Amino acid sequence: MANKEFWTGSDKYLCDRDLAQSFHIARTLGMPLLIEGEPGTGKTELPIQYAADQNLELFVYPTGSKSNVEQFVARFDHVKYLRDSQIEILNSQREEKGLESKLSTGGRNPENLADYVAMGPAAKAYSKPNSVLLIDEIDKAPREFPNDLLYALSHRKFIMPESGETIEVSENDMPAIIITSNREQELPTAFKGRCIYHYIHFPGEDTMREIIAKHYPKVSNQIVDVAMDVFYHLRKIGLERAPTTRELLNWLKYVKTFSTSEAIDKIQKLEGIGALIKTQTDLERVQKQILSNPTDFQKRSTPN
Amino acid sequence: MFETLPKKFVEYDVPVDIRALLLLRKAMDKKLIRTLGDIYNVLKGIVVKDPEMMGPYTKAYYDYFLNIKIHQGDTLNDAIQRSETFKNWRDDNLDRMGDELSVEDMVNRFLDEVHMTSYDIQEVVDGRLLWDKDRGDIEDKESDGLEGDKQPRALDKMADYSDLSLQELLDRMQEVMDQQKSEHSGGSHWIGTGGISPYGHGGAAKDGLRVGGTGGGKMARKVLNDRKFFPIDMDAIINDNNVDAALASLRGIIEESAEEKLDVPSTIKNGLKRGGLFLPEIKSEEHDKLQVLLIVDNGGYSMDPYIRVVQTLFKKMKTRFAHDLETHYFHNTVYDRVFSDARRNKPIYIDKILKKDPNYRVFFVGDAAMAAYELNRTSMDSYNLMKKHFKKIAWLNPEPQRYWAHTFTTMVIKEIIPMFPLSPKGIEKAVKQMNKKKE
Repeated sequence: MANKEFWTGSDKYLCDRDLAQSFHIARTLGMPLLIEGEPGTGKTELPIQYAADQNLELFVYPTGSKSNVEQFVARFDHVKYLRDSQIEILNSQREEKGLESKLSTGGRNPENLADYVAMGPAAKAYSKPNSVLLIDEIDKAPREFPNDLLYALSHRKFIMPESGETIEVSENDMPAIIITSNREQELPTAFKGRCIYHYIHFPGEDTMREIIAKHYPKVSNQIVDVAMDVFYHLRKIGLERAPTTRELLNWLKYVKTFSTSEAIDKIQKLEGIGALIKTQTDLERVQKQILSNPTDFQKRSTPN
Repeated sequence: MFETLPKKFVEYDVPVDIRALLLLRKAMDKKLIRTLGDIYNVLKGIVVKDPEMMGPYTKAYYDYFLNIKIHQGDTLNDAIQRSETFKNWRDDNLDRMGDELSVEDMVNRFLDEVHMTSYDIQEVVDGRLLWDKDRGDIEDKESDGLEGDKQPRALDKMADYSDLSLQELLDRMQEVMDQQKSEHSGGSHWIGTGGISPYGHGGAAKDGLRVGGTGGGKMARKVLNDRKFFPIDMDAIINDNNVDAALASLRGIIEESAEEKLDVPSTIKNGLKRGGLFLPEIKSEEHDKLQVLLIVDNGGYSMDPYIRVVQTLFKKMKTRFAHDLETHYFHNTVYDRVFSDARRNKPIYIDKILKKDPNYRVFFVGDAAMAAYELNRTSMDSYNLMKKHFKKIAWLNPEPQRYWAHTFTTMVIKEIIPMFPLSPKGIEKAVKQMNKKKE
């Protein structure tokens, strides 16, 4: 019986309330959870932390431009099959010549086609009840990929190539499937229809504080105050690429190595801003708007 | 149950199909739905497939389940305060809430109850159990003793109801919904009396259990106030809000061909690696050579508001697709030359442009409105020659389409070069037209 308990995060991961509920709904209904949202909002973290916290096995399929269902489900290893079938001939030849040593097929038997099926993360997850399957950044995949997944997602069944074995999972044992997307391309409607959809909102200041506390419990409040001020200010001025949670955390990771007063000083001088700002135009803009007018900004960002 | 739901939601452009209804039913069957807030959440997961659908979805939900109509420009608070549902709820719960609550507080409370989910209730139950355990040996003689007695009982009652069968649950919901829809419902409502929750009268909400703001109401408010959660108007002339949608329409100019070909070199290479076993290697042929010529009217006031956003659009396109993009400028109409700089100092003659690869896609951007004498023979010739040379050509006009017919020069140019509105949809059409195979 798969884990259908309501899960609200762990001491390392703050699972946003709404997300926790959607995740629970998806697991209860045995449907994949499709998470979209700005980059750096912890989409991928959810399954990782969930699996770690609940001690479940996690299977990951990172999607790329060359992804296909074969890699995801299972493929037949023709080369190994060919090699092993040749080995039998070779071995009998060696025997004729009176040679002792034999080549090994590593326990595989060419008679048994199932030995040559290389299972992908999906097949592995489906044959392991109560596991977690992450399909990361599905929007990077070729357009056909999500459509090809439709069958598997709605039938809970895979047929292995060549060997014809089927891997089937009952609705109760469905692995928790999490699919993430950065919306770089629109996913097919039919595909979305088979998922529970959740859009992660960008965390507000309160949530952000909690997130920071989970990651760096030791960073002083003063530093966090100042850094958050700068961060949300940067998000407001309409940059081409607004900084995200992940980048704020990286920045804090850098400044937290200094003493509090030094760190605040560094934040106000926007040192290490490269952790937050990723394009040249944005950098110029920040310099023009903030550094050229530092007094105004410092007044805002200095804690009272 | 819920037979009319798809129809209502479609009115708000939120598609709800049979599958969605079946899923909703399944969710009830699995006991995911016990309160109105649960329906909001579960149905959202099932039907909302895009943040832009969140706004319309929330509106449809309020209309269908609560009979609260949120009009364009309304805030959620206004819509709630105006509604019969809220008034009835307030009348029913006035004694419970006391007089000191401001209208705003009441709306907040209303929202809390609307969006209270069984997760919230579960939290309360869990919290209560823990709390009771913690103070098990403490005599409770304080003034809140009575309340402390009462509340756990209410919660016990909730638990009793949680074993309702699906059919009973459905019947109950239908009943409450009918009452809700009738005008003089006289007290029994979706909410306030424990909502549609099968916990019945005296449920969590009635006792005023507050879960510190359930979040759902806050989110609903946020969703309704943010344009991000509503669909982009694809027919609006492009602006900062829909420039990305326009970009998406432009994406179509990359012809996607999924032609697969036998990859001879890699078949041989890999075949040799395999010791002479040749398996055909397939490669997909990609043609994404994209050349764009953008010719913008940057003279005169009429074009001013659009130039910046047009440039943003094509600049974004350039970074996104990283291809050959040239921008030229003209004033009112093209004669024998265009200019390579925005100040129109560096001329490039049409003859030269006509020597370019005919596969260039040419976009004119301009209102095509001028005094009739300005559109002279030279100008017309230039347009005709361009049209003849570049097969993929379109004119994007920021003027609303209904005014085109009133401007003589617009109509003349439109006869030569296919003209489309400078909106995401218009751009999409222009691209489609360009992609059409021509003989």
